[in-house]
Amino acid sequence: MKITILNGNPDAGNVQFDSYLKELSDLLESSKHTVTILQLRDIDVRYCIGCFGCWIKTPGECFVADGSRDICREYINSDLVLFASPVIMGFTSALLKKAHEKLLPLIHPYLEFVQGEVHHIARYDKYPLMGLLLEKGKDTDEEDIEIISDIYRRDAINLKTSFSFTKLTDNPAEEVANEINRI
Amino acid sequence: MRLTVFNGSPRGKSSSTEILLEHFISGFMTTEGNTYELAYLNRVKDRENFIKLFQEAEQVLLAFPLYTDTMPAMVKTFIESLEPLCGRQGNPSIGFIVQSGFPEAIHSRYVERYLEKLALRLGCRYIGTIIKGGCEGVWRRPAKKTKKLFGAFYQLGQIYGETGRFDERLIHKLAQPESFPKLIVPLLKLLLTKIGLANSYWNPMLKKNNAFEKRFAKPYAE
Repeated sequence: MKITILNGNPDAGNVQFDSYLKELSDLLESSKHTVTILQLRDIDVRYCIGCFGCWIKTPGECFVADGSRDICREYINSDLVLFASPVIMGFTSALLKKAHEKLLPLIHPYLEFVQGEVHHIARYDKYPLMGLLLEKGKDTDEEDIEIISDIYRRDAINLKTSFSFTKLTDNPAEEVANEINRI
Repeated sequence: MRLTVFNGSPRGKSSSTEILLEHFISGFMTTEGNTYELAYLNRVKDRENFIKLFQEAEQVLLAFPLYTDTMPAMVKTFIESLEPLCGRQGNPSIGFIVQSGFPEAIHSRYVERYLEKLALRLGCRYIGTIIKGGCEGVWRRPAKKTKKLFGAFYQLGQIYGETGRFDERLIHKLAQPESFPKLIVPLLKLLLTKIGLANSYWNPMLKKNNAFEKRFAKPYAE
């Protein structure tokens, strides 16, 4: 599989998190996957301002020429995207969220019904599976993990895919790699 | 009552969030002695001031549009900046408004859980979350089509200004439809997909930008 890891760790001082992703990436590559880690804190991504330029001016592409265009390209050509982030104030980082909402060009403004609800239609024929990797913060509890997972599971409907798993960095990287190998 | 409002829309002053807030605040201000302050989270240069505003607030209202089924990144940045205030004595009470383009409230219910937990995490008294779907392009609708909606926000603000509470009955009403009844989905499907009711919102804009022919572009397909 082609796997993209969106590293939403905003803190270069949190070496542990980045090392974990490196270990995971090595494990996955040894199982013949191709892995790209996108270090979001080193990519210039502007906040989505909801201008809908990516729908009505330059369809399929953010109107603002920032790093999100490369992220979109990597994303849509992957089989699995792992959203990776420390939990900060009960949710994934603002850094990851910033990149996440700039995936909007990958879907289409037109609407359809999915499971009885209104959602946007697909722009591409195929979308990657979504996985979530979280590092608990000091104040993170089970309920937080559940809330985050539920929101991502919901967003998988928007991103025309299914949500594969939530894993914590408490677990050894082998466990996450095994989970991915089972897909 | 002294209310500190944070408009968390990335579109700032020209947002649907702003319009809903205007009506809420007008209602709130009908009680004598009430005052308010309004800050825009999209004004990056004001960022340091946001924490100070929050710290000094008695009552906070945070309003934002739903982005990828949760808060916009800009709002998350603001929330992260409040981390040092968690559990502090004297934190303000907090209420939320979440508006979205999707017609049903169900899309916003998941972030509602997050917001309730956020209030707890901060040690703020939780006032509630007002959820309103179907708000995209609310600014361009004729007055007679928005009268009820704006009236409801005015009334919510008025009651909040008097009692410090969100009126449950009004919140419930605004959140309709929670989701569409299974029985009418086939009919709605027909309207949406076959007649293209929702597409008619986007097509004139696409055409105006000479982008209609390119609307199905897949620039990243490999």
